[in-house]
Amino acid sequence: MTFDAVVDGRPFRVEVRGRDGRYTVRLDEAPLDVDVAVTGPHVASVLLRGESHEVGLERRADGYAVSLRGGAVTVDLVEASHGPSPQARRPHGPERLTAPMPGRVVRVLEAPGAEVKAGQALVVIEAMKMENEIRAPRGGRLQAVAVQEGQAVEAGALLAVVG
Amino acid sequence: MSPGTFRKVLVANRGEIAVRVIRACREMGIRAVAVFSEADRAALHVRLADEALPIGPPPARESYLRIDRVLDAARASGAEAIHPGYGFLSENAAFARACEEAGIAFIGPRSETIALMGEKTSARREAVAAGVPVVPGTLEPIADEGTLAREADRIGYPVMLKAAAGGGGKGLRLVAAPRDLLPALARARSEAKGAFGDDSVYLEKAVLRPRHVEIQVLADRYGSAVHLFERECSIQRRHQKVIEESPSPFLTPELREQMGTLAVALVRRVGYENAGTLEFLVDAERKPYFLEMNTRLQVEHPVTEMVTGVDLVKTQIQIAQGEPLALRQETLAQRGHAIECRVYAEDPEAGFLPSPGRILALRSPGGPGVRDDSGVDEGTEVGVHYDPLVSKLIAWAGTREEAIRRMRRAVAEYRVVGVRTTLPFFARALTHPDFVAGDVDTGFVERMLATGNGRPAVEVAVVAAAIHAFEARRAAHAQPDAARLPAWRAAGLREAHLDRAGGPA
Repeated sequence: MTFDAVVDGRPFRVEVRGRDGRYTVRLDEAPLDVDVAVTGPHVASVLLRGESHEVGLERRADGYAVSLRGGAVTVDLVEASHGPSPQARRPHGPERLTAPMPGRVVRVLEAPGAEVKAGQALVVIEAMKMENEIRAPRGGRLQAVAVQEGQAVEAGALLAVVG
Repeated sequence: MSPGTFRKVLVANRGEIAVRVIRACREMGIRAVAVFSEADRAALHVRLADEALPIGPPPARESYLRIDRVLDAARASGAEAIHPGYGFLSENAAFARACEEAGIAFIGPRSETIALMGEKTSARREAVAAGVPVVPGTLEPIADEGTLAREADRIGYPVMLKAAAGGGGKGLRLVAAPRDLLPALARARSEAKGAFGDDSVYLEKAVLRPRHVEIQVLADRYGSAVHLFERECSIQRRHQKVIEESPSPFLTPELREQMGTLAVALVRRVGYENAGTLEFLVDAERKPYFLEMNTRLQVEHPVTEMVTGVDLVKTQIQIAQGEPLALRQETLAQRGHAIECRVYAEDPEAGFLPSPGRILALRSPGGPGVRDDSGVDEGTEVGVHYDPLVSKLIAWAGTREEAIRRMRRAVAEYRVVGVRTTLPFFARALTHPDFVAGDVDTGFVERMLATGNGRPAVEVAVVAAAIHAFEARRAAHAQPDAARLPAWRAAGLREAHLDRAGGPA
């Protein structure tokens, strides 16, 4: 079975064969022997080239949130025969900026029409007693701002659109 | 038992610090009473306590900050004393006074001492009077913008704007130049208002590349006071501490002695009782400046406990029971080295944004010299109502170098699935040459983050995700109407087990 995966914009083609904890995985053509032992509903031990990795897995809408010793990785994943790859699914048009957590908008830093840079703070949301700067996912023109100062927002609420 | 011995103590807090205080009570043979908001019914501190009482809805201002409800719970349970932990009501003089009036011992200083030392400008006045050096600045909160600008010019830029009622980095702004003053003022006031309900701010000269070093003190009601040396707290982000250690690699024995002596002088002057901490900035010339006093237990108290062997929480309770301090300055010493990492449910790769969610899997590190002061366990929902601190990881060893190696090992063992945590950040920070060399000031985190991040093993993540998806597909094909069955059916685990555990749906 073949999958298309994307991590941070980098595409991977992954072919998986095997069963019962022993797999052969072709990752961009290089064949790898992988041994998987499940140790909990969200945790598995993965042996890869003799290295021991403990992997946490959470199912997400477009793939998985994978936690490893060095940090967390979001893997967008789709079966190769099932529609376009995650790379192709990724919108090239305007990008929506959403609230990562519920909170209160304490400041809107840019007005619609402004040219913004990737990583520039656009909205400040107060949550858990901290002010959090929500930054532009990429550079472009700020097409819309969907919130006002003082407004309460839920996680996932649209904040702004960068085009 | 002496007549003053407590039989029951109410813990007016939640999370890891409530667990910490409950543990101390247990070891002293004292019954521990927890209070909890509706969000914390299933929290660890409730389950570890002997008794537990609800105090209201999830928002802290309707539960953990409600003086009346906490006191009602204390009366209902028959607790003779209240330990406030840190945060919430711990530095609230009105709460301490209400306890005094209700005849319930507040495990902390007297209410008038909290009022005096908790307000930063009066604390500075006391420090000056006790001969303790302070950072140049205004001693009073300033309301008028014109006066503020003139004072900033007089002190000289860069200056710091600080909330008079502040703490925890809220309402704090660095102002580099005159044109930035008014926008920074608006933001500082807004944060101060939101966090403390009081938007008054004052002004201080910004000490550049400062170390943040604090001195732990203990004092009884009979005038006996000691210091328990320093904690180095320079590793901060957004003015919140993330890594602390003791001893500080930056202090000389002479400076340590000097700062300890100054701290005890100030404590004696104000007749302080119980545990407290004096925060100092130390500049590049190793000159200390008193910043403020925290009239409570600190988050980072375990590093002091590890190097001095003194249980600060138990000592707090003993002092509140009216016992004289058994510790003598000349017998106190720092032994070895301790480091603490604050594990927050925050995403270090997304600007440390809070990462609420359910902890799906958790394994804490163990082994020699490792202490995990945690407030959560598997299944805990890390909510949005409270501070996202989930645990404090502490490593002790004979030397700083060994303690760093031990902490790296412990961080690598720590496994949290379900929420993002600051653990990957610690893995990087603990190997950073500046940290290893002890060359850290309060700008360390920003400089470290600016140098790019160490990526985890992306290839392993992709392989694991693909195998999981592969097994999920196969399970769905084998049993088309059971597509939501747990997918890890290979690898030797029986499905019954996976079903019971819920599976990675």
